Amino acid sequence: MREIGFWKSPTPMKLSYLILRPLARAGLYALPAVMVISCLVPVQCQAQQKMSKRYPAGKNVRISLKNISGTIVVESWKKDEIRLSATIESPNAHVVPKQVDENLVVDVMNDNRGRGDVGDVNFKLQVPVDSSVDLETRRGNIYVSNLRSGSVRAHVSSEGDIELSNINASQVVAQNTIGNIFFDGEFAGGGTYEFKSTKGDITIRIPGNSAFRLVAASPAKKIALGDFWNNGFRTQDGRKYVGDVGDGRSSVSVTNFSGQITFLRK
Amino acid sequence: MNCEKCQELIHDLIDGALSRSDELLLNTHLQECLDCENVRQDLSSILTYCQTHRGEYEAPANPQAMWLRIRNVVEAEHPAPQIARTRSFLNGFFGRSWELSFPQLAAFTAAVVLCVSLITVVGLRRWGTGPLETTRQFEASNVNDRVWQRQQVINYWNQRIELNKVRWSAEMRATFDRNLQVIDQAVSQSLNELNRNPHDEISEQMLNESLNDKLALLKEFSDL
Repeated sequence: MREIGFWKSPTPMKLSYLILRPLARAGLYALPAVMVISCLVPVQCQAQQKMSKRYPAGKNVRISLKNISGTIVVESWKKDEIRLSATIESPNAHVVPKQVDENLVVDVMNDNRGRGDVGDVNFKLQVPVDSSVDLETRRGNIYVSNLRSGSVRAHVSSEGDIELSNINASQVVAQNTIGNIFFDGEFAGGGTYEFKSTKGDITIRIPGNSAFRLVAASPAKKIALGDFWNNGFRTQDGRKYVGDVGDGRSSVSVTNFSGQITFLRK
Repeated sequence: MNCEKCQELIHDLIDGALSRSDELLLNTHLQECLDCENVRQDLSSILTYCQTHRGEYEAPANPQAMWLRIRNVVEAEHPAPQIARTRSFLNGFFGRSWELSFPQLAAFTAAVVLCVSLITVVGLRRWGTGPLETTRQFEASNVNDRVWQRQQVINYWNQRIELNKVRWSAEMRATFDRNLQVIDQAVSQSLNELNRNPHDEISEQMLNESLNDKLALLKEFSDL
């Protein structure tokens, strides 16, 4: 039986018709598209603002930052000054830090009232090691590291992870709705520590000789006290643990609705 | 001596059946109390009359009819004979000197215990689950009331959110809805647990915290 097929006897004319002409046509259409995209990319880059400011500060400075959306990073450095860096996504967004005595206040919410959606504003703060920080955002992650003596408050209204590393503050509050909370530091004698999440894991990493009174509640019964568990703990069917570790000098409250609560020893 | 005791003893005084000391006491009281002296005189006159005229009176023609007439007159003068009868029964019951032997006392005690036990058993069978159920319902309604009160405040903030929501980016709206859903789930779970066990402290704590979180989320996002 004789096979009749298109590829059986290609002629040069057929080849150019089949391959070269569509390629040329595609090239013709693609070129303007590439040109448009290449024009748009620099515009977007130009739209993103960056700011960096330095403020003189004493040893015990207090920083209050209220953001709408975006990441907040706070870390200590050895200088007696504050350095505030921000990447502002929208050209409409305003960030106007105010310094009053030892306090630095950044209120993105207030600065942009009535401007509609101002997108993400990502902050990086470098502060003296004894600073107190009060950080709030409606959405986004918060990272704080290497602070001592002051107080640390990290509040994410909705979703975002909170990571507090090498913290030796006398008062710590970390709260979010969806997202993990990680605390790595020490509990100071007489200090108060509160960690709360609705849906996310809470992990607390502290030295083995830590002394604190703990109230941990998790209706999902996911509480792992690890090396810090002792017979003195009272529990209500595994959903709540109340008891002292050591002489219970500081007060620790951990509440998690559906995630895991874990205590780790450093 | 009081009047009551005195009038009880007047009969014995007239009969000469009192001891010397009682007679002395009674006479002293009669000298001081005019009412009791009148009673003594009346009684004494009746007895004297009866003794004097013994055998002189004639029997009535129809003693039965006369008795009925007397009875009617007496009943007409006392409109509530039932009360009087009950009173006299109670007076008789309590006034009586109950001298029970040990077996009688034991039997009486056993009967009281049996009656009380029976009443308790019947009561528990009939209404046993009632009070518990009622308490449970009351507590559940208490929780629901509190939630309802909070819900009113939440509704207010919800309305504000709905007005502002149009200005948010799609991403922000999705974030808000997702988080609200998570909190609502927590509220709902706590409520279910509380309906099962109204005394559950942890569920109550979680319910309060979840409602506070919801309110806080609404307030914070209503500013956007």
